[in-house]
Amino acid sequence: MDKPENAWLEVEGLTFRYHTRQEPAIQDLSFDLQPGEVMLLAGASGCGKTTLMRCINGLIPKIYRGNLEGQVRVFGKRVNEMSMAELSQSVGTLLQDPERQIVGSYVLNEVAFGLENLGLPRGEILEKVDRTLEYLGISYLRDREVFNISGGEKQKIALAGILVMEPRILLLDEPLASLDPASSHEALQLFRRLADDGISVLLVEHRVDEVLAIQPERVLYLEQGKQVYFGDAQGLLDVVDYRRVKLPARAVLRRARDAEPPPELQPALPPRSAQPLIDFQGVSFRYRPELPDVLHEVNFQVHPGDVIAVLGANGAGKTTLVKHALGLLKPTRGQVLLEGKDTRKLTVAQAAHTLGYVFQSPTQMLYAPTVEEELAFGPRNLSHPPEQIRKDVRWAIQTVHLEPELKSPPLALSFGQQKRVSIAAVLAMRSRILMMDEPTAGQDYWNYRSFMDAILQMPGFEAILFITHDVDLAVIYANRILLVSNGRVAADGPPPEVLRDDERLRACRVLPTSLLELNLELLPQTGRFLRAEALAEYAG
Amino acid sequence: MIVSFNYRPRSSLIERLDPRARWIFSILVLFAITMFWDVRFLLFFLALTLGQYLLARLTWRETRRAWYFVFFIMTTMVVVNTLITSSGTIGAVLRGTHTVFFHQFTMPVTGWSWEINLTVERLWFAVTQVVRILSISALFLVIPFTMDPRQYGATFRGMGIPDRLAYTLDLAFRFVPTLGRDFQVTLDAQRARGYEVEKVEGGLLTQIRKMAPLVVPVTMNAILSGEDYANAMDLRCFGLHKRTWIERLAYHWPDYLWIGFGALLLLGSIALSLLGYGKFWVPQILLQ
Amino acid sequence: MEKKSLWSFGTREVVYAAIGAALYAVLSVATNFLQIPAAANVSIRPAVAIPMFFGLAFGPWVGLISGLVGNVISDLVSGYGFWPWWDLGNGLMGFVPGLIYLQMTDFRALSDIIKAEIMVVVGAAVGMFVASISEIWVSGVDFATSMATNFFPSFISNAINGLILVPILMVAYAAVRGRSGR
Repeated sequence: MDKPENAWLEVEGLTFRYHTRQEPAIQDLSFDLQPGEVMLLAGASGCGKTTLMRCINGLIPKIYRGNLEGQVRVFGKRVNEMSMAELSQSVGTLLQDPERQIVGSYVLNEVAFGLENLGLPRGEILEKVDRTLEYLGISYLRDREVFNISGGEKQKIALAGILVMEPRILLLDEPLASLDPASSHEALQLFRRLADDGISVLLVEHRVDEVLAIQPERVLYLEQGKQVYFGDAQGLLDVVDYRRVKLPARAVLRRARDAEPPPELQPALPPRSAQPLIDFQGVSFRYRPELPDVLHEVNFQVHPGDVIAVLGANGAGKTTLVKHALGLLKPTRGQVLLEGKDTRKLTVAQAAHTLGYVFQSPTQMLYAPTVEEELAFGPRNLSHPPEQIRKDVRWAIQTVHLEPELKSPPLALSFGQQKRVSIAAVLAMRSRILMMDEPTAGQDYWNYRSFMDAILQMPGFEAILFITHDVDLAVIYANRILLVSNGRVAADGPPPEVLRDDERLRACRVLPTSLLELNLELLPQTGRFLRAEALAEYAG
Repeated sequence: MIVSFNYRPRSSLIERLDPRARWIFSILVLFAITMFWDVRFLLFFLALTLGQYLLARLTWRETRRAWYFVFFIMTTMVVVNTLITSSGTIGAVLRGTHTVFFHQFTMPVTGWSWEINLTVERLWFAVTQVVRILSISALFLVIPFTMDPRQYGATFRGMGIPDRLAYTLDLAFRFVPTLGRDFQVTLDAQRARGYEVEKVEGGLLTQIRKMAPLVVPVTMNAILSGEDYANAMDLRCFGLHKRTWIERLAYHWPDYLWIGFGALLLLGSIALSLLGYGKFWVPQILLQ
Repeated sequence: MEKKSLWSFGTREVVYAAIGAALYAVLSVATNFLQIPAAANVSIRPAVAIPMFFGLAFGPWVGLISGLVGNVISDLVSGYGFWPWWDLGNGLMGFVPGLIYLQMTDFRALSDIIKAEIMVVVGAAVGMFVASISEIWVSGVDFATSMATNFFPSFISNAINGLILVPILMVAYAAVRGRSGR
């Protein structure tokens, strides 16, 4: 590809190997970024996207050491010859987790941080901060404490802290990962606007489906550190493996026509029955007497055979709701019955016999020196006999296919493996109900699909319930949807019924996806919701 | 939430002073207090620091726990010092000659003997100690309730501490609520696995080891996030230049007055002690 | 991971010192709050292991600040006031183990764990001794009282907590450490 003279960023034959590793993280990448364009950088975990970003923003080679070959030029200057001060005013980087890059306690301090470090006069800093906040439409947050604001707003604040330094190239590392669908949509619109206002945006994301909505000018696709595709968005849909990154449902459908139909998913749950395992009866909850209710009169039951997806915006009360089932929170009014017993009269440990709860991030619970001890922790707390513990641990590790890691330290495993260890830790307790908070968070498309497939086919659970932002996850895996909004159950029923009501979904800040739309269209033929590949045989 | 700061604006006079002036004043007065063992001088300081406490508009409810804590520590120290050990910091005077109570214990078998000789002097010394500890406590108890956590970094920067160190303070305050929440999440996650922190079992060693499922995940998670924070800071030029602090502090005349007052107290105290005042003093009435 | 010098204090150290301090404060407040039953007069204070471990893992300055600032903040949050000499003592508990930061190569190796444990005890002794001695100057107690009421209880409790928890943290850190390229 020829490189126009005015490219803002030029990468030529870039290869980098960390000095701690044997293999290069990226190999022979060449591309350029034009003024005011949105470029999508797509790829699964480990494709080298983080390393590439570090080569552009100067962390490589300034902070991370290793072998660098080839060239990266920003506005015609080589990155390794530029100072950090110069670079930071040319290239801005938004890291994946907004929480982990905000260093100020208050919005004003956070946004001003970079300019303070450059030693600008105070008046000028304040003026620029106010201008940036206004540009992003978040002036109302100026004097707020960072800790108490929502995830979507945190990301805007982190972005403000970067834009205030007036970079013309913006690197965004999986900016949608921690956002609910409505906030993701807003964020994408904002990125488009930034590009239209003259900033070049390099957007790293494996949720290709959603990013295509803002029509990126070009797409770069990496696989295991190598450049597989560089060109317009349309071309990507024909080249890339649709099982590795999430493409629009119609594109998958078109591609899957010629492929083998995927094996049918056979959930290993018992048939549905009427005796409820969990029973919420008029549950209202507030954290402290002087605070308002966060749950209002919630009624629902979980029966054997249920696979329930709990959908709703951030802060709608999903996690609060689920914590009640385990007795981590007790209702202010009403009651929760776990197999007929009031959770007020049960300790959490007693409830854990029935209900296994997997938290969002595995690093928040893994502590033991070996996987084996990690898995034995739960059953030992529940005073299971040692012989049974040994058996259950072996069964749990086999179920998640991690036998070779039994003696490894869980903290040294990859994120996906840790996630499986955290599931196995719950499996080993032989609980009858599995509840998961954002089971797919932090995993790429390929990993989370194989992960969810495996869980649903695992023997041992009578019901599964998961909280998610990902509407497609609900479409593919659930046989029942609980739509939560403002602490109330807004809808409860089979997926086709709940997800058909577009207006209600939007009112709950849940946005329909291309897969949902396609499924609704084909529902007369299919009779149920299916994954995109499986729809191929029904589409005309 | 498990962790929250005690600061809230209370529109007191003391809050209008520059935090640097208040730190400097507190340190000056601490040194002044430590020059005296004469209860008459110490009572003056107790009145002074309690005055500051009252000016700060603190309520008993807020500070009750802290006072209990002070009373507990103070009582053990003073009681042990008075009853058990036979010498004191300020030497022989403590032995005293006016005995109120005397008893000699002899340990059976070993033959070690242990005397309790309570004299007027030693009891009065205990009283003096109490006044002294209370005045220092009242001096420092005010700080958490009346100083805005977001000002610590800028305050210490303004007192000449280098940028990096001063920013470390700001950053530590930034992390407190986040790590507090992380701790809560880990506690819940482990409780969901049947972990019961309240349950007493095993000996001391088992009890401490039982903290690992809480301490390890929270610590390792924090360490892993540290790399992101460091990257985010390097990318925004932290530590390259002398930085501007938008949290601006400026001395006004009351601040100079406040520091001047503290300095005067310390200089006066030094002068008095050089002149021989302020040594341990027992009222004559008690010795008759 | 590249180790430069014992005394460097760059961005990484700033971040870890702040994390150490905040962790110390959160853990002390949280364990107070949980009302964990104390056994045999030794309080369960897992927080004290943090400055010790942060010293070993990130150097003496990080250890010092973790303990010192951490103690300041934990007193602030509990509303206990400000006790500079105890803050310094807690800082020294992290500073002393930090002195062997450059010798720590394999956090899982028995030899490194033993070295660390020795420094934990020395650190607890030095830190609590300095704080207790200051109590003589401030409160006017005599040496024996200060040893009996201040030094021994705090030294024993801190040393035991550190001896047990520091190796556990070291083993966990050995697993985590490989994941950074810095």
